[in-house]
Amino acid sequence: MAQKITHTPLTPAVLHILLALSTEARHGYGIMKQVEAESQGKVKMGPGTLYGSLGRMIEAGLIRESDKKVDPEMDDERRIYYKITGLGRAALEAELERYRKVVAVAKRKQLASNSFAYDI
Amino acid sequence: MTSEPLERYRNWYATLLRLYPKPYRERFGEGMEQTFNDLLHERRNSGHGLSLFVLWMFAETLAGILRENERSIVMQNNKSLIRIALVTGCILLVPLLGNLFMGWNWPPFAFPLWGALLFGTGLTYELVARKGGTTAYRFAVGIACTTGFVLVFINAAAGIIGDGPVNLMYLGVLAVGFVGALIARFQPRGMALALFATALAQMLVPVIALAIWKAGWQALLIDPNSPHPPFHPGIAPVFGLNAVFAVLFVGSALLFRHASATGSK
Repeated sequence: MAQKITHTPLTPAVLHILLALSTEARHGYGIMKQVEAESQGKVKMGPGTLYGSLGRMIEAGLIRESDKKVDPEMDDERRIYYKITGLGRAALEAELERYRKVVAVAKRKQLASNSFAYDI
Repeated sequence: MTSEPLERYRNWYATLLRLYPKPYRERFGEGMEQTFNDLLHERRNSGHGLSLFVLWMFAETLAGILRENERSIVMQNNKSLIRIALVTGCILLVPLLGNLFMGWNWPPFAFPLWGALLFGTGLTYELVARKGGTTAYRFAVGIACTTGFVLVFINAAAGIIGDGPVNLMYLGVLAVGFVGALIARFQPRGMALALFATALAQMLVPVIALAIWKAGWQALLIDPNSPHPPFHPGIAPVFGLNAVFAVLFVGSALLFRHASATGSK
């Protein structure tokens, strides 16, 4: 039986973090950079918001910590990586589906597609 | 630019992170410090200034600290919060019933104001009292909190020294206790010193008020716009009332000292 997703609607920060982690596990700075790139610079999170959201997402089972490792593209400090879970992926899909429906309604009402803050 | 400012900023940031609740700090502190460091290096390498960026980072993290502390307090004290809220509600029932049946005249804004003060006092007691394992420590916290609350209440209701702005000096008395407790990190020995200092500050207030009176600045002591008749308390009653508060603060300090001497927190 499909797991019921009770996490939607997600906060913007959680949605962007899940999106950033959907392709690979990342450390804190990596998540920030990915979110910034994917939102075309529109969403910028500081460490306070990022780690607050990560803590709540871990509690909710949406992501989990993986072992500390060195990022070969950065210095030799070992960093904690964060990984999306099955529940997190399902919550992301449910949220994206919700967005699709919202966009469909907006299109039916002939609201201009370029009125969104950035491409979706 | 050398790495010296970066090191300094990182140290400051590490100090700031100590304000997070301990479990949160232990889990995410290292990662946050690394991320902050990564962002600083990125910023420096792109040739942008650091000061404003660091200021934003600190403000953003401070907001996170407030959020997490609030969350931690609510999660750890759910039952206590309900209990404090109930006691606050019961106490506020007295003036409410007084207004309804006995012709009291509590203005509507006084209810949320005193409710918040009562709740805040109760919460402060809960949070601080649990830091000490002994009855003496808890009693000491209880006396300090209650005395502080009564001090605010009497001042707001009538004013201890006339009804002029000079009564605001009592906020300084409470500030001495509050800052002292923070500096002492709620350890009993330091708390004892903080409460002795609070008692001293309490007794300094009438001395300063007397000096103001002698200097002829009566306007600071008596509010000419007050709706009540001018209030001229005598010197002896003012010193006497302040002495009562000071004795209570000293009593609290002695209990903290006792808690310290018995070897527990």
